[in-house]
Amino acid sequence: MNEVTLVGLMLYLAALGELIAEKAGVLNLGVEGMMAVGGVAAFWSGTEFGNPLIGLLIAGIAGGLLALVHGLVAVVMGADQVVSGLALTILGLGMSAFLGQDYVSLPAVPQFGALPLGPLKDLRIVGPIVFNQSWLAWVAVGLGISTWFVLERTRVGLGLRAVGESAATADAAGQSVVVTRVAAVVAGGVLAGFGGAYLTLNLAKGWTEGVTAGRGWIAVALVIFGAWRPGRTAVGALLFGGLLALEPRLQTFGVEISPILISMLPYVITIGVLTAFSIQARHRPSAAPAAIGRAYRREER
Amino acid sequence: MIGLTLQRREQPLPGGQVRAVLAGAFIALLAGAVLLLLSGSNPVDVYLRMADAAFGSERAWSNTLSRAVPLGLAGLAVAVAGSMGLWNIGAEGQIIAGAIGGAWVARVLPDADGVILIPAMLIGAVIGGGLLAVIPAVLRAQLGVNEIITTLMLNEVILRVVRYLVNGIWKDPGGSGFPQAPLLPDQSALPGLFGRANIGLLIAAAVLIGFGYFASRSKWGYELRLAGSSEKTAEYAGISLRTKIMTVLTLSGAIAGLAGGIELTGSSSRLVEGVANGWGFAGIIVAALALMRPSGVALVAVFFGAVQVGGLAIQVSGVSASIANILQAMILFGALAAGVFTEYKLVRSSRSPRAAVAA
Repeated sequence: MNEVTLVGLMLYLAALGELIAEKAGVLNLGVEGMMAVGGVAAFWSGTEFGNPLIGLLIAGIAGGLLALVHGLVAVVMGADQVVSGLALTILGLGMSAFLGQDYVSLPAVPQFGALPLGPLKDLRIVGPIVFNQSWLAWVAVGLGISTWFVLERTRVGLGLRAVGESAATADAAGQSVVVTRVAAVVAGGVLAGFGGAYLTLNLAKGWTEGVTAGRGWIAVALVIFGAWRPGRTAVGALLFGGLLALEPRLQTFGVEISPILISMLPYVITIGVLTAFSIQARHRPSAAPAAIGRAYRREER
Repeated sequence: MIGLTLQRREQPLPGGQVRAVLAGAFIALLAGAVLLLLSGSNPVDVYLRMADAAFGSERAWSNTLSRAVPLGLAGLAVAVAGSMGLWNIGAEGQIIAGAIGGAWVARVLPDADGVILIPAMLIGAVIGGGLLAVIPAVLRAQLGVNEIITTLMLNEVILRVVRYLVNGIWKDPGGSGFPQAPLLPDQSALPGLFGRANIGLLIAAAVLIGFGYFASRSKWGYELRLAGSSEKTAEYAGISLRTKIMTVLTLSGAIAGLAGGIELTGSSSRLVEGVANGWGFAGIIVAALALMRPSGVALVAVFFGAVQVGGLAIQVSGVSASIANILQAMILFGALAAGVFTEYKLVRSSRSPRAAVAA
């Protein structure tokens, strides 16, 4: 049961990053690549320095740097966000495979350790799910709460949301669209890098090419499932994390469905949720940021 | 103060995209060289070996062109949707669906003659790819559901379907536990052309040329581009956007499905999980570099085929083949960056009159 929370919060870190970028109006389909680069960076540096915290920081820097490419191409130069993001995934998967070729299948030395919460972790059911998690899990929860707070309760968040809803209006109000969007994309890359670090150090406990295995796409899906809200995204992350973590074990509970078919559910559910949103959108405003996917050039407004 | 600003050109630079792609390739080679140097290889040496493996002999050309087939068809699939302003991110999955469709036909007609079996398998592949694309097509046309996300999600769904098939009900009982379907019947193999190339190359070329001609000459193609440039104009002109979206996305999936069928009958001798091999995603880059034009798709596909063949060749000598993926993505980023200058030019801007005089 410990793994449900672990997988869920790893997905949550990456999804939270995508949420921030999308709230600013930038779709980044490079999550899979940024996670992979973060994962290999964390594995390399964490092992080299014997310290998971250094691994986490380097992973964040690596993810942020890769995201900066998307920021420069898709935001500053205004190229198509879909193409740029997908190329980012291909670049990130290629870079991680290239840089990680000497680290394949080595055991991960350091892991993010558990917080010493004493007897709490021995509680039945709640203990392993909630109280026997690494400190990074608590960081993920903290990041979720602070993202919600910044987006909904501060001027910075208001500016970011304004840029994502109507870039021209925000520009006219003196908000720098390019700076805000690039910052949001880079922040998203840092969080995707954190997710990759969590993946290689604590979940996969090692690096192999393709270790992300589509988890970056689940992060993209989670933002939609969560209707661009940090809290709802967290619920989705735990749900999808549960499905992924339990997938290999369902048969031991006597469930007859193939675990492979269970692993489709996050994607199928996302298509269903998106369809429901589209039907609702006929009667009330859509939950998606209005300017998402659209480049902004001042002279063309 | 003297600065540089981007100013829109009165007319786009002629031949600008060709220049942009070449500039992108140059930037990619430079970036790749840095990576290779850092990993202790001689970049000139590696690039020469890649070029030799891709173009150095008839066999090399046959490898390059064989890889250009799925890249070109996937690129065309994306371009067909793209010329109407729709994104089919699901070519990767539709290639898998096509391969499943083709493999299913081979299971049903194992004893059929090659002359019947091969076309039947390819038709099965076209239907397979088209069927998977019908889901996002209907959702987009009828309910306005964003096709980028649905096609993306269906990639992951169909990947798990094929995983289920080759691990389960279609698993080869004599495969000593490997997750793969049984060998296809011998007569299902596409006839060879030269070296490693088979008639899949001719089929792909015919589809690309045929569609390019049809799209540029027919009323259908004109309406497609009209709908892509302005939905409102298209609706005033009496074009049914819903029907257009339905047919275009389904056709796009069918073309990608054909790529899967050709891979199945041409290169792989059985259905495996990795049949799509990243070609569907690479096809998106191909289509973007080609500005959604079929003729450009063919050229870029051959170019990317060469990069991939080169990447595989240097793998033997211990350099990671992933350099091919890095180069492909960097070409796109370089070309996107360079492409800005086909529509914009850098001009010196001055903020004060004195600086203007100094400039």
